[in-house]
Amino acid sequence: MILFNDISQTVLLILSVGLLISTLEYLKKVQIFSPNGLLSWNVMQLKWTKQDQRSFLKPFFKLFNASGLTVLFLIRCLLIIGLFFFPLQSTTGWLLISLLGASLLVASLATYYGSDGSDQMSMLIIITLILCNLPVLASSNLRDIGLWFIALQACLSYTVAGIAKLVSSEWRSGTAIKDVFSTKTYGSKKATLFLKKYPAANRFLCWNVIIMESIFPLCLFLPWEFALVFLIWGFIFHFFTAVIMGLNSFFWAFMATYPAIYFVNHQMSWHLF
Amino acid sequence: MIPKLDPAVIYETIVAVFLASWFLATVLCQFKETKISWFIRYKIDLFNLIPLWTFFAPHPGKRDYHLLFRDKVTEVDYSEWQEMEITEERTFWSWLWNPEKRDKKILSDVVQSLVASIPSYREKTGNLNLLMFSTPYIIVLHAVSLYQKRSQRCYRQFMLAESSGYQKETKPALILLSVFHQI
Repeated sequence: MILFNDISQTVLLILSVGLLISTLEYLKKVQIFSPNGLLSWNVMQLKWTKQDQRSFLKPFFKLFNASGLTVLFLIRCLLIIGLFFFPLQSTTGWLLISLLGASLLVASLATYYGSDGSDQMSMLIIITLILCNLPVLASSNLRDIGLWFIALQACLSYTVAGIAKLVSSEWRSGTAIKDVFSTKTYGSKKATLFLKKYPAANRFLCWNVIIMESIFPLCLFLPWEFALVFLIWGFIFHFFTAVIMGLNSFFWAFMATYPAIYFVNHQMSWHLF
Repeated sequence: MIPKLDPAVIYETIVAVFLASWFLATVLCQFKETKISWFIRYKIDLFNLIPLWTFFAPHPGKRDYHLLFRDKVTEVDYSEWQEMEITEERTFWSWLWNPEKRDKKILSDVVQSLVASIPSYREKTGNLNLLMFSTPYIIVLHAVSLYQKRSQRCYRQFMLAESSGYQKETKPALILLSVFHQI
């Protein structure tokens, strides 16, 4: 039975929703892997000319066509659905997540171009959960270590993103968000018009993102009622990047790390005040 | 007397060391490219497990990329430039369901990879001839070569361009113009 009071299980459930959507999206676009597609293996295999000497990878190369990857993505959907029913700490649950992890690793060879930070965060969480929940050998102490790792990676991701923006003149001058929103790739017409009408909003949004991302790790050290401010900010931030920029998979991948942040915050023996 | 080692403790130690190394490698691979970050990223990280968390910084992606191509049928007969439709506008449901983002991201990654490699090709050889053997170049050439040809023996040229999306005040700019390739 699935227990929602288990933090690792909650991390996995949130992530599973995002992974299911992402896998269904790949199924919809599976033609990009066909001989006529952008990521045709006829071409993509050139990237692995050196690495494919590693014979352990070669058997997977046969999978990298539209039909092979369709099967892989369908199996992945079934594995994810299974994870909604079998607890992570059961042998079946662990086998399901291990197969899911294997499918993500294998497909990553074919999706070198086109994958993003949310895919990496998802993979990072899945591998951590596999390693830290191995039946028989994994202790509750190891499960805690896994949650610490996920929380620290999440904090690192926000801080690095914040500092990289802080050193950027385009972010500091408050033009970056307007410029990104005005692209058809990551922006929207309505958002562009809004920021044109209210130029002060550009600077506010840029500095809001710079400051909140840079100091995000404070959420580990602040008393929970203050730490919650960072998580609510993160929720709103990812929700709006999904709505305005179409980055839907980031929402699920990063929301999945929040239960781990909650866990670490509550494990801290001291807080800043 | 040697104490009996508990397999659970050994496993816990191994996983803890692995996760700590993974975290350290992630820290080392952020910001500047150093020798060690290059080694980790290109020699060890086969499955792309070391993320770069600098999202949209320091240079925010403020350009839309466009891929166009044309055919040379004879020395004097060229077709019009035709654009590969990739940057289509999002729908109301894109916040939840957005499969189109993959095509855009692929092209964006490929173009950025091409653009990033242009200076080093120029520096090493003085021209861009060797760029034609790079994976991103071949991906682009392969993508455009799949469109219907105007004649059986035709030569196709592609152009990578960038524009500022909804900001009409900035003119589109050329990134790369290929030679004609027989397809």
